Amino acid sequence: MTSSPLLNVEGLSKRFPVAAPAGGSNGNKGGKKKAALLHAVDDVSLHIHPGESLGLVGESGCGKSTLVRLLARLLDPSEGRIEFEGLDLATLPANRFARLPQRSWVQMVFQDPSDSLNPRYTAQDTIAEPCLLLAGMNSSQAAARAAEVALQVGLPPELMQRYPHQLSGGQKARVGIARALAVRPKLLILDEPTAALDVSVQAVVLQLLDKLRREMGLATLFVSHDLNVVRLLTDRVAVMYLGKIVETGPSAQVFEQPAHPYTRALVSAIPGCGPRVRLEGEISSPIDPPPEVCRFASRCPVAQDRCSRQAPVLQGERPSGDSGPSGPGARHQAACHFTRWSLAAAQAV
Amino acid sequence: MHMATVTPLLDVQNFSLEFRTRSGMVHALQHVNLRLNKGEIVGLVGESGSGKSVLSYAMLGISDAAARVTSGSAHFGGLDLLQADDRSLADLRGREISMIFQSPRTALNPIRTVGQQIEDVLRRHAVHTRGRTGPDQALGFRERAVQALREVAIADPERRASAYPFELSGGMCQRVMIAIALACRPSLLIADEPTTGLDVTTQAAVMDLITGLARERGMATLFITHDLGLAAEYCDRIVVMHAGHAVESASTARLFAGPRHPYTARLMSSTPTRDSQLHQLHPVPGQLPDLRRTDLPPCRFVERCDRASAQCNASLPVLDAAAIHGVACWHPLEPATP
Amino acid sequence: MSTARHIRHVLADNPVTIVATALFAAFVLMALVGHWLVPFDPLATGVGPSLQAPNGTHWFGTDALGRDIFSRTVVATRLDLGIAFSAVLLSFVLGMPMGLAAGFLGGWWDRIISRGADTIMAFPLFVLAMGIVAALGNTVGNIILATAVINLPFYIRVARAEANVRRNAGWVEAARLSGNGNMRILALHLFPNALPPAMVQVSLNMGWAILNAAGLSFIGLGVRPPEPEWGILVAEGAQFIVSGEWWVSFFPGGMLMLAVFTFNLLGDALRDIFDPRKRT
Repeated sequence: MTSSPLLNVEGLSKRFPVAAPAGGSNGNKGGKKKAALLHAVDDVSLHIHPGESLGLVGESGCGKSTLVRLLARLLDPSEGRIEFEGLDLATLPANRFARLPQRSWVQMVFQDPSDSLNPRYTAQDTIAEPCLLLAGMNSSQAAARAAEVALQVGLPPELMQRYPHQLSGGQKARVGIARALAVRPKLLILDEPTAALDVSVQAVVLQLLDKLRREMGLATLFVSHDLNVVRLLTDRVAVMYLGKIVETGPSAQVFEQPAHPYTRALVSAIPGCGPRVRLEGEISSPIDPPPEVCRFASRCPVAQDRCSRQAPVLQGERPSGDSGPSGPGARHQAACHFTRWSLAAAQAV
Repeated sequence: MHMATVTPLLDVQNFSLEFRTRSGMVHALQHVNLRLNKGEIVGLVGESGSGKSVLSYAMLGISDAAARVTSGSAHFGGLDLLQADDRSLADLRGREISMIFQSPRTALNPIRTVGQQIEDVLRRHAVHTRGRTGPDQALGFRERAVQALREVAIADPERRASAYPFELSGGMCQRVMIAIALACRPSLLIADEPTTGLDVTTQAAVMDLITGLARERGMATLFITHDLGLAAEYCDRIVVMHAGHAVESASTARLFAGPRHPYTARLMSSTPTRDSQLHQLHPVPGQLPDLRRTDLPPCRFVERCDRASAQCNASLPVLDAAAIHGVACWHPLEPATP
Repeated sequence: MSTARHIRHVLADNPVTIVATALFAAFVLMALVGHWLVPFDPLATGVGPSLQAPNGTHWFGTDALGRDIFSRTVVATRLDLGIAFSAVLLSFVLGMPMGLAAGFLGGWWDRIISRGADTIMAFPLFVLAMGIVAALGNTVGNIILATAVINLPFYIRVARAEANVRRNAGWVEAARLSGNGNMRILALHLFPNALPPAMVQVSLNMGWAILNAAGLSFIGLGVRPPEPEWGILVAEGAQFIVSGEWWVSFFPGGMLMLAVFTFNLLGDALRDIFDPRKRT
């Protein structure tokens, strides 16, 4: 059978209180207004095996930034488990996590290299700092480690004393990657690492990331809105919409044969992948969403009555002949009443 | 081979521009030739530092104060934009040439309603547009503003016209910005990276809107972007820029059938498409040259190019903007066999 | 770009900065070595005829007790600059951490510190300073304390604004991922980045602090005569303006004005020097 997952997330949710909309749409006439909750992440479950690369795609507002911050333990979840090698990290509070030894297990590369480097730290300071704080090294050991990992990411040693504003976009990206790798994390989260970079630099960074992943056997969570890029670097992919995972499966398969209508629309919107599936209608509100309604129903081209009465759950196929956690044998599932699997399952009943 | 000799709407010739900075003179643009015909959608594609935005700002007279035009002309409807005084340019902006920007929230005035902002443009150019906007002539400014909102597919435009920008979503602000730009039916629209940072589905919707309106009104569009794939999808013709030079100009089909400039080819090969594999991506080697150098070679790609020769260090062929497939290179790649 | 080149560029950018820097250097020099260079003992009475107009021996003239005004004015520089510098330092050292904590940690930290700052600012600041000195007594130490207290809110606000803006910056989150606890983030990450705007504040405050000390002394609540201090000198000369002996107030007042002017101009230059992003 397959090895046990490195990261196993179950039922993860995060709700933020927001000011209730004026007019009491939830029927509270008079009396106190009940605090409305924004469901940023809603009952998300996923897993990543050691050495595996999982992609996370979705558009702005889908909750992937919040999910990423929950997994990186910068935020505390409202409920759910984040099991890392068996230990539930969700029980460790976020505001103390920075000082715990488990901090070095999960590291992150940020989206905007210009924004994620302290303007007053040199490249060396930035890369060496986690070594000093998390790996218990002294300053000379940290400097040596920084030099070592800088070499791995292709950052020339003469740039180490430079400040961020003296570095190019690609060089800053490398500093960010080096910093994340310096403490040898087990899981690397990449939050749109090439979104702010030029195309030619992007290609270099992507190839670098792939090389490092293979060399270090890292498990990675690759978040991006650029589907072409996600397809290149990931084994499996999860598609998010308004806080829920609507489809997961092997990357190539999900992009070639998307099962969920939202994924289909997303894939068709890539330039060159026409014909375009147009989404009409209003995005449903993430504030106090009714639990029985499918979140995508308001914009879905194939929505029917049933979609507003019964929220779909992830359903998929179990391929015959399990061949491992990732690769073509992995499970492809989608949360929709009208996928081929849901229809087949309904007929089988 | 030249295209049919129709007078271009915008004819930029030999345009050079530099910036005075604390650390030296930045030679941002050099000998740029560019043509835009009436009703054509042209994509100006380049990476950051290629000068594509600088070019458009200079033509509208809104460059940074440190910018200096050192040569060239940009003829638009009989007027040289680079020599024109501020008043003439102010009359043109919004009326004949409009521009939309990357971030709609910063482009909109936060303390005026969106309807008022559209009316502002209409009023400013009212004396010129009277008699030019056909059926709208009879309507008042308010009605025309509402009509402009309707044309950019904003639902319930009468009510939205009284809304402030902060009440609208990002996508709607984008549409409002487009409505403001197109209110006076300009003949040229410059779109400076209007979809960078937007979601893929929103991007598609915005591009569909812009190009749809452009086709409907016969409006020429200069679409500035770093995304070659996006330009391929929506533009009739593409001009590729590198380090302040226009290096290649061709129709989209011809360009993708066979890019001729080595940089264009590299750019294409480093962009992931739906079928590419990671090992197939061939990034452009090296880095952009520092444009402050006084010893810049005539071809700014020469230090990264594997086809360079001594001739490339001596001079650079001028890009023929009127050619069907123009390329500024002594050793262009072979044209695609038809 | 090296620090020296950067400083030269900043100075060259704006010629006014050069003037301000030169004046600043002159004032510092006067404060440090003024005591030894002045022609007459500032406290000695009768070194010249009383109320003599400016002339070759007494460049600024003499006051009612026959003291040389030039010597007194120059020597007063040390006290005035010293008071101002100490007060601003105290304000800075107390106010910046408070503001950073309020901006970054939010919650109760923010509420208490911000309300405290608001309370101070609710008073007309000079009146508050008067009140503090009157209550605690007429000593140089209390002037420094009073000046520091009334300047505290400026630093709190500057630091709070910076921390508030930057707490969501990518590099602050990245710092957490690197193992930084809140204290380290405040001290090593946020504080250095809040310095450039704080520097402008420091310079402006120096000007204010000098004016404040002089003002308190002018109304008799500060430094006590015969100690030379610009405010006192102006006060001593005030009664003679009507009778025509203008020089007794004029020169100390002029020096005071010049000092405040210098520090105001210096603010921008200091900020530019401290901001690493201005180094190209």
